[in-house]
Amino acid sequence: MRERFRALDPRLLWVLLALMALGTLTLYSAGRNTPQAGIWLKQSLWNFLGLVLMLLLASMDPRRLFRYAFPAYLVGLVALAAVLVVGRKIGGSTRWFMIAGQTFQPSELMKWITLLYVSQRLGSHNADTVGRLELFGATGLVVFPMLLIQRQPDLGMALSYLPILLIIPLMKGFRTRWVIVLLLLVGLGGVGAWKVVLKPYQKQRVRIFLDPSADLQGKGYQVNQSRIAIGAGGLIGKGFTSGSQTQLNFLPVKTTDFAFSVWAEERGFMGVLLVLGLFGLLLSRILDAAQAAPTNAEAYFCAGAAGIFALHLLVNVGMVAGALPNKGMVLPFFSAGGSSTLSFFLALGLIMGILHRSRVK
Amino acid sequence: MDPRQRPLLRRRLGAFKAMTWSLVALLVLIYAWLQLVRHGEFKQLAMQQAVKVRPIPAPRGLVLDRNGQRLVDNRRALHLVIQREDLPARPEVVASLAEALVLDPAALARKIASYRQAGKGRPLVLKENLDEAGIALAERVRARFPFLSVEVAPRRVYLGDELAGHVLGYVGEVDEELMKARPGVFRLGETIGKEGFEASGNDKLKGVDGQKRILVDQLGTEVANFGQMDATAGRSLFLTLDAGLQKVAEDALGEEAGAVVVLDLRDGGVLAMYSSPSYDPNLFLNRLSQDMVDRYLANSQTRPMVNRAIQGIYAPGSTFKLLVAIAALEKGVVTPQTAIYCAGKKNFYGRDFRCDKPTGHGSLTMVQAIAQSCDVYFYELASRLDIDDIYATAEKYGLTERTGIDLPQEKRSRIPSRDWKRRTYPRDPKWYGGETISVGIGQGAVGVTPLALARFYALLATRGELVTPHLFYGFRDDQSNGLVPAPVPSPRGTHLDPRIWSVLNEGLSEVVQSGTAAANPFVREIANQIPFSGKTGTAQVATFVDKAHYARQAKFLKDHALFAGFAPRDNPQIAFAVVVENAGFGSTSAAPVAAKLVKYWCVDRLTHPLPPPRGKMVDPFAPAPQAESPE
Repeated sequence: MRERFRALDPRLLWVLLALMALGTLTLYSAGRNTPQAGIWLKQSLWNFLGLVLMLLLASMDPRRLFRYAFPAYLVGLVALAAVLVVGRKIGGSTRWFMIAGQTFQPSELMKWITLLYVSQRLGSHNADTVGRLELFGATGLVVFPMLLIQRQPDLGMALSYLPILLIIPLMKGFRTRWVIVLLLLVGLGGVGAWKVVLKPYQKQRVRIFLDPSADLQGKGYQVNQSRIAIGAGGLIGKGFTSGSQTQLNFLPVKTTDFAFSVWAEERGFMGVLLVLGLFGLLLSRILDAAQAAPTNAEAYFCAGAAGIFALHLLVNVGMVAGALPNKGMVLPFFSAGGSSTLSFFLALGLIMGILHRSRVK
Repeated sequence: MDPRQRPLLRRRLGAFKAMTWSLVALLVLIYAWLQLVRHGEFKQLAMQQAVKVRPIPAPRGLVLDRNGQRLVDNRRALHLVIQREDLPARPEVVASLAEALVLDPAALARKIASYRQAGKGRPLVLKENLDEAGIALAERVRARFPFLSVEVAPRRVYLGDELAGHVLGYVGEVDEELMKARPGVFRLGETIGKEGFEASGNDKLKGVDGQKRILVDQLGTEVANFGQMDATAGRSLFLTLDAGLQKVAEDALGEEAGAVVVLDLRDGGVLAMYSSPSYDPNLFLNRLSQDMVDRYLANSQTRPMVNRAIQGIYAPGSTFKLLVAIAALEKGVVTPQTAIYCAGKKNFYGRDFRCDKPTGHGSLTMVQAIAQSCDVYFYELASRLDIDDIYATAEKYGLTERTGIDLPQEKRSRIPSRDWKRRTYPRDPKWYGGETISVGIGQGAVGVTPLALARFYALLATRGELVTPHLFYGFRDDQSNGLVPAPVPSPRGTHLDPRIWSVLNEGLSEVVQSGTAAANPFVREIANQIPFSGKTGTAQVATFVDKAHYARQAKFLKDHALFAGFAPRDNPQIAFAVVVENAGFGSTSAAPVAAKLVKYWCVDRLTHPLPPPRGKMVDPFAPAPQAESPE
């Protein structure tokens, strides 16, 4: 057992525990005097479960896990297809399985499985000689589950798969030509998505993002209230459980998407600096693991994981401040939710395993 | 791993690291902008939506009868409202709200616009006096329109239902026309008296709204109170009405249309005023039913919205003969002893004027003519007078003016004169002698309100005192709950010659003792117990060939029955006027109503008075007794 605990990277662990503690406090404050008063306890349970899973995974040889990547990927695709058929419909979208009274969202776990599988495939090639075909194939492996997820529909989740593709520039380097092609693709894709792929509610979100004040009592209400909460927090915040925006329920969905606004209102800019700093350390440490990784596949996995965490951070923290469209992407360790929490811990477990193996080698 | 790859990968990962830290830095900048640079602005916004200043509506004063019995009470009511700062702006939101609440979208949009312009103040009431179904609806609708809130405010309860509908009137939200007509007097959304005493006594009854600063949550629910200025309730007051006598009037008229007025001879206080059909003011408190009422009641044939006691103009019929008698005696064209022969009809100006008794009354003096209500006698008197003589007498004894009662929209009685004819009929301005003959028996152009008639008989009872009828008796003392009597305008003396008075008094007494009213056994029975005086009247609505023709007519063409008088005969206390529409002879329909009033006032009131009024309204929200100060 002691051997297992030794597999945990202390620098990553401290950052993780600190973020978990702050996230739990935030949920306690957000849930106070609402029907969700117990949500911090429930989330603590998920965190504990996540820590146990992380410990188990960290002490395993990552190379063994890569071996299961392909079958897991196939199972994941089946699950994504199945959820469209037998999934539970909540709020207009079909994203969840009901398992033992709990909702389970397969797309969360599938994100990490996809990353694992793509890392494994590309890691088995020489970066200099890998062909275009293989790169396109890897891109297809990422895009296919994204399309399935967009059918649910869940644009935020689908977009959170994109950082996996960061592996490609990592292998081949950044080239001006690629950047131009990418920008063109994004531009065309954007227009195409607006016309074809985006659902009406998603278009509405984009419209509101472009002019939040147009609909203060409708969809723009959420972001507007969130900005008020953040701004009212000031330098040192209104104090724990004392934010008027949070406690008087002006702030919407404050235990999930807008949990960070609760923190920003009650702890102020100083609190924001602390949390963003911790996330910076987390990302740094994950990229440390990528640099130290013994194999390319492991390095790719860590880099992709850092990209996914960074995207969540950017989109959620940017969104609640009104700087990015309201996409519904959760903030790790702050937003309540079982599937996402467990997935984040699983990924971190793998990363810790990679760090551990690079040290003992 | 390919060793040649290693440094390249490390370099690229180093670039990734730099990118993540710049990402963090970017987010820090965004938050510094919101939390440090724009902090003041957002702090203000957060406070604006959480800290609200809300008016506390003041309850109006209670209305009591002269014995302190409650006629108008207050209860708590729940209203579905939009606070001023939450008024929706977008037309489609307003439209779907109107649809959800079954309101007129255009009217709602207009209202929201005017409330927005007016700034702070009372919230816009969408649905008032919510019952259980209304609360369920409100909760459902609030889920879709979170800017709606439910407000607790005092509401009026009219305990007698239809007992005194016209006298009390009702309250409602001040309307735009009135605000425009009297700028600066009312505030938007203010509750004011709309009809009856609620309207005329509005300034006496209304309180002063208070104000509170509160902390609200997103649903507008009060979370904390930072301090308030209490509302000052309006003063409670007494009316001169006697609820028991009013009830007797209501029951006596029953289903018949008509009016009853009873005046207190001491000061002109209105003891009873009932107009039939009456209305239930409780039904007018809800805006929705107001529409219903406008449509169904105001245009209905029976015209229940008209207060017949002060707005109904009736030909006074024989009750007018007393004024003609005064005019004749004062002019000296007859003496009380002058005997005039009645042969059943008489020819004036080439036309036969018929008496009610076709066989004729024979030779009559004035007392006999009053008692028998002989028409020929008064035709003869009228023929010796000019119409302007009759007008001058009416003017002297107060019949040409409004009585000045403290109720809105009192009508003036119509007493014809040459001048009146010129003004009213410019195409046929000449006054014909034959018209004066008709006026002699209270027909033709002459028309009086029941209140004016009662006042005239009060003048006969008091030997010439002209009182000002009024309803306001005085405020209630806050400590003792007793009456603080209001000053009463002193009666105007009219210098009625005592000799003339004693002739009229004898005639009026004879009417009940042996004359036209004595024909009714019930009237006779009451008169034996409590002698009273009065005069019957039968006012033609249409002209008929003969009695058989009349009998075939539809009810609404039949004669109005009248009775006016005072009681008791000696040392009178009350004067009254009774009109029963389309009921035939005054002696059979109106006189018994008067007899019931006399019996209650002089006997039953003292031995076993009627219980206080209790409306049929069931109020699910309020324990009644504390309703005086709902906050």
